[in-house]
Amino acid sequence: MSRIRDFIEEQFLIEFDETFPESSDLFKEGVMDSFGYIQLIRFLEKEYGIKFSEKEMTGGVMVSLTQIEAAVAEKVSQRGTASA
Amino acid sequence: MCGIAGILKPNRPAEALGADIRGMLSRIAHRGPDGYGTLVDNGLAMGTVRLAILDPAGGAQPFGDASGRYWLCYNGEIYNYRELRATLEARGFSFRTTCDTEVVLAAWIAWGPDCLTRFNGGFAFALYDAETGDLFLARDRFGKRPLYYAIRGDTVLFASEMKAFLAVPGFSFEQDPDQLSSILAQWTPLPEQSGFFGIKSLAMGEYLSVKDGTLATRTYDALRFDIGPKVESEEEALEAIRARLSRSVELRLRSDVEVGVYLSGGVDSAIVAALARDFASKPLSTFSVEFEDAEFDESAEQRLVAEHLGTSHHAERIRHVDIANATPEAVFHAEVPAFRSAFVPMYLLSQRTKAEGIKVILSGEGADEAFLGYDLFKETLLRAAWRELPDEIRGPRLARLYPHLSHYGPEDSAAVTGLYAQFSEEKMPGLFSHELRFQNGQFSARLMKDKGDPFRAISELVANAPGYERLSPVEKAQWLEYKTLLPGYLLSTQGERMSLAHGVENRCPFLDPEVFALATSVNLKFDDGFVEKRLLREAFRGRVPDAITDKRKFPYRAPDAAAFAAEKPDYLDLVLSADELSKLPFLEPKFASRLANKVLTKPAAEISTKENQTFLYLISIALLDRAFVRREGLSASVLPPLDKAVDLTARRAEVNLPREASAR
Repeated sequence: MSRIRDFIEEQFLIEFDETFPESSDLFKEGVMDSFGYIQLIRFLEKEYGIKFSEKEMTGGVMVSLTQIEAAVAEKVSQRGTASA
Repeated sequence: MCGIAGILKPNRPAEALGADIRGMLSRIAHRGPDGYGTLVDNGLAMGTVRLAILDPAGGAQPFGDASGRYWLCYNGEIYNYRELRATLEARGFSFRTTCDTEVVLAAWIAWGPDCLTRFNGGFAFALYDAETGDLFLARDRFGKRPLYYAIRGDTVLFASEMKAFLAVPGFSFEQDPDQLSSILAQWTPLPEQSGFFGIKSLAMGEYLSVKDGTLATRTYDALRFDIGPKVESEEEALEAIRARLSRSVELRLRSDVEVGVYLSGGVDSAIVAALARDFASKPLSTFSVEFEDAEFDESAEQRLVAEHLGTSHHAERIRHVDIANATPEAVFHAEVPAFRSAFVPMYLLSQRTKAEGIKVILSGEGADEAFLGYDLFKETLLRAAWRELPDEIRGPRLARLYPHLSHYGPEDSAAVTGLYAQFSEEKMPGLFSHELRFQNGQFSARLMKDKGDPFRAISELVANAPGYERLSPVEKAQWLEYKTLLPGYLLSTQGERMSLAHGVENRCPFLDPEVFALATSVNLKFDDGFVEKRLLREAFRGRVPDAITDKRKFPYRAPDAAAFAAEKPDYLDLVLSADELSKLPFLEPKFASRLANKVLTKPAAEISTKENQTFLYLISIALLDRAFVRREGLSASVLPPLDKAVDLTARRAEVNLPREASAR
């Protein structure tokens, strides 16, 4: 999952640390905008072989690194279950 | 073209005021290398540096009326001055020169501030009434010519360019984080913003009066979209566009020196050149920027137009090294932070233009705003209609809008659809059209340690604009362009500040009030707006090559961060060294440093538009701070030859007519 952290740090020019924790709302902090969000979703889909529906993307639940990692982990495990 | 400056300071001796004004004028001597003139009275000095275009012998400034009561320091051109002169002569005014300066002064005497609405041109002037001590400053309706003012204690200063204030004893510059954050968010300064504490730009369409030490501003021209002529058919629209634009070009060719044309490779400047040729008695001189980097180069189209019109064409070829070398000087002339590097080549082009012996040029600025040339307008139309459109229409509309952007290809259509769904409702009151663009602005505003609400100032601007809420979504988009990008960057940083850096005056036929009024009558009346500037193109089909008429808008851009990454000029230290960055305490150093390191080390293809834009802001803010705040590396300033020096204090002494300086 550190790949997601690296991508976000690199793409949005931030550093997660005590002043900017992983639970920070990336939209509210002005770090991520809609274009950046689309880039991030494309990265996650490609990197983890998963697919987000429009509803999942616009549901407002993937706004922090913590939430994004959780959502990806769930998707990946669903994929594992589905293919098992 | 000229530069003007002035200082009002009660009780300051006339000799000291004289020295102040000469110092101020020497800092803007590039605007008027042909001569300077000053006027000194009790507690006031003002002056002009002059680029002689009309009646070079007769137009020396400050220009006084026959009675010696009114004095004018004037920068710009009133293109309809002959018609105004005839009107004034019919009212009994007589004239002793053939230049527009005298017409402006007479118009003021005849009509007072009401004269301003009669002027068709780009201007900024200071008018002093020696009898009452009142001073008036005025600026043209589109913000073509600049005018800044500052109040420091009991002192009022004004000048065409802020750098004149560098010469005022005790004056210091400090960058204003609130204004910077607003500038970063919306690409350009707002009409009154300068980027510096305590310095204001006189807004377009306003005048300012100083009476008894009190300042007041008034708007004489608000941008109106409802006063254009009635046009019933497309045929009539095309005919009117041809007629008005041709007249506008004809008026702007009024000059005692040769007028050239800047060719961008696009349709607007090609039309201007074609019309200018109609009136030319010898081959027209045209000028263009070419780029070594093919991504930005439009030389094929420029040469096609030049050959088609048989012009004497001059091209300035720009390499990365040229941009890197000229940026500090160009930023000094621009005076405000810039969001792209494309103004730097224009600095070099005007240098070339001057070297070729041309002092006046026409260009195509203002066409996109008037005749809906930007994608922004199509985006606004599509987003505003989004919720009503069925899915099978949305896709093709998006594809028409963004054929050149790969990330809007079929694989990402769902994502873009989602994006449009999010942006189909207004979130920022009055700013619907610009919400997508402002996302990049949010990113740039991260440069500021405390960015506050970077959109507060622009939100207030639209909230306080009379009649704004009644405009259509596209008209609001136009209004915003006329108040931000056009005056705040295209006409200034990329336009007249770069031209006047080398004493070249630029004129814009698309900024004629009648052309604008006509455009408001015909836009979206005969088409859906999805072929940009369709009426303008059709009006001149056949006059310029079809390849140009049918060419899609290609935004004029230059290599941004890539030029600096390739050349690594010494001054990059300003943004790469922690020590240097710490001299800009209002910046967020971690973000600034990560950004600078990324854009200067990664391949250009990996740098996004907003990263490029933010880097240009960063380097320009750092260069402005070095020049204006820390005053490092300023070149010596030199006055042009003396044209005229008027000392009213001496005259008052002669006729025993003392006037208290405190009357001001």
